[in-house]
Amino acid sequence: MPINNNGSRPDFSRYMDIDEGWVDRRIFWEREIYERELEQIFAKAWQFIAHDSMLPETNDFYTTYMGEDGVIASRQKDGSVRVFLNSCTHRGNKICYADDGNTRNFTCNYHGWAYGTDGELKGLSNEHVYDEGDIDKSKWGLQQARVDSYKGLIFATFDEEAPSLEEFLGDFRWYLDIMLDQDDGGTEFIGGGIKNYINANWKFGVENFVGDAYHALWTHDSGFKAMNNNQGFPPADPTGSYHASVNGHGWEFGTDGLADIAILGQPKVLEYYEKMRPKMAERLGEMRSKIFGSLASVSLFPNCSFLPGIQTFRVWLPRGPHKFEMRMWTIVNKNMPDEIKQAINIGCMQTFNPAGVLEMDDGENWEGNTSVNKGIVTRKGKLHYGCGINRRIEHEELPGIVYSSQFNDSNQRLFYQRWADMMNADKWSDVPTRYTPRYTGKKTV
Amino acid sequence: MMNNTEQNANANSAMPSLELMNEVQQFLYREARHHDNEEFRDWLDMLTEDIHYWMPYRYQRYRRNEKEPTILDTAYYNDDMDCLVKRIIRTETGTCWSEDPATRSAHVVTNIEVELTDNPDEFTVYSLNTVHRNINEDESHTMVGHRTDLIRRVNGVLKLAKRKIILDQNIFTNKSLNVYL
Repeated sequence: MPINNNGSRPDFSRYMDIDEGWVDRRIFWEREIYERELEQIFAKAWQFIAHDSMLPETNDFYTTYMGEDGVIASRQKDGSVRVFLNSCTHRGNKICYADDGNTRNFTCNYHGWAYGTDGELKGLSNEHVYDEGDIDKSKWGLQQARVDSYKGLIFATFDEEAPSLEEFLGDFRWYLDIMLDQDDGGTEFIGGGIKNYINANWKFGVENFVGDAYHALWTHDSGFKAMNNNQGFPPADPTGSYHASVNGHGWEFGTDGLADIAILGQPKVLEYYEKMRPKMAERLGEMRSKIFGSLASVSLFPNCSFLPGIQTFRVWLPRGPHKFEMRMWTIVNKNMPDEIKQAINIGCMQTFNPAGVLEMDDGENWEGNTSVNKGIVTRKGKLHYGCGINRRIEHEELPGIVYSSQFNDSNQRLFYQRWADMMNADKWSDVPTRYTPRYTGKKTV
Repeated sequence: MMNNTEQNANANSAMPSLELMNEVQQFLYREARHHDNEEFRDWLDMLTEDIHYWMPYRYQRYRRNEKEPTILDTAYYNDDMDCLVKRIIRTETGTCWSEDPATRSAHVVTNIEVELTDNPDEFTVYSLNTVHRNINEDESHTMVGHRTDLIRRVNGVLKLAKRKIILDQNIFTNKSLNVYL
């Protein structure tokens, strides 16, 4: 199905059948589809930009990307954060070449146009070469994104028509609170972060975290044994575990409260959480306190993921159809003792970073998933996404679209359904809400 | 960035003997050979029990904002002996799929400098480790680590006690770091 070859609108839902359980491989390879993703998804959806703790002081900044658009997140005097394009309005050069830091202005290296930390054009070098009336500086500031935050996570979108962040996250807030609001004081990122390139389509990273508990047992057998006294994962137990999906965001999880924390290989962290769990239960309820720390993984549509318990937090920044940049951090509770923060950081980094004993095996798989589609015959085939296709349940406590057993392709299917919904939509009001919200306008803690 | 002030605090300006320089050089070459040949248990024997193996995140900031990484920051490695043993166990499980077929690697150690310290059994050693990695059909990567080591003589034998590795990349350009820099 070539796109637009006869001028008709492409229908991206034809790249999958989520009732039959398959996805077309071309969405992981073709340049036209990727360009459409930049337009339809990355220029429209709310995307994770930074954690509040990365910009603690006025004039702190951090540079990142929304799709392939470089942006600067900048802390304002009033405590708010602005996000604007990292490109001078004169000839387009980047106005910031550093990853992060603190500054009073952003000055372009090319001709010395200077922008305030609010993104407004403040001054030009040798301004006298311009005659009066040549430029109205108030009209040539940097393009601003809409910014909002949820419990420490800063998000932005370039689409004025996008729904509120609260509506975009929807009932997924109920799940996010397990990670972000389990303790007074909320969360923070450990200093620094690691970045690396993987030569794979960005969706392979996101879908792995959105629902793929299945791969853990096989791909990560060696890493899990290394971290867990040579004991492998317990056999896959489909009971007491779930997939939950809201607007393409997905959380797969068990309810033993233990398995992911054990992967850190840090006994004092296990002890810490065991002591904390009754408090967590008081705050979030019994069910959510048991979800935390279980074998679990999470993705926010379109490209942000984390592992509750292991505490790696990351974004998958697209760099063309066959490459992404992974940025990863360790997320901890602000109120944890330093000793626990450090133990989590060490365990997290030892398992999930390019040198991590679990992560090392993932990139290799995703590059293989992607590169094979160079083959024209290979690319025309389908991929199977049918695991647990008949296991949908209604659960009185769990919001969203819920399937029983975390060994399931349900969250992946619903991620791709959301992907197709956004790829097809002319405007946000055309994007359907496919679950029945329970928490609209309500707090989730 | 390259200087480890903590280790340099004990620097002794006297020149190391040729014999010592030769011994250190041979030590680093042997270590590189163990890595090339995946003789990881032999490599572990070259480390002290209190080894600290550290490869921090490298900040890319404006000069006026420059910041040294600390051991509390994120890092590629921030390992003690227990952590390093776990890494080796992974490769011994028989289920380490991404290491089969085996990685082909060449660890090229150069720019070796030996500095005496106030402790006659401890030496600060600087070196550059250029690692060429070739994997799968034709994937070829080169990684460079600037190393500052503390090498200690224990019962007459040299052992590595501390290593700080500074990568020359900001975004690490490979999917995995399965070789030791």
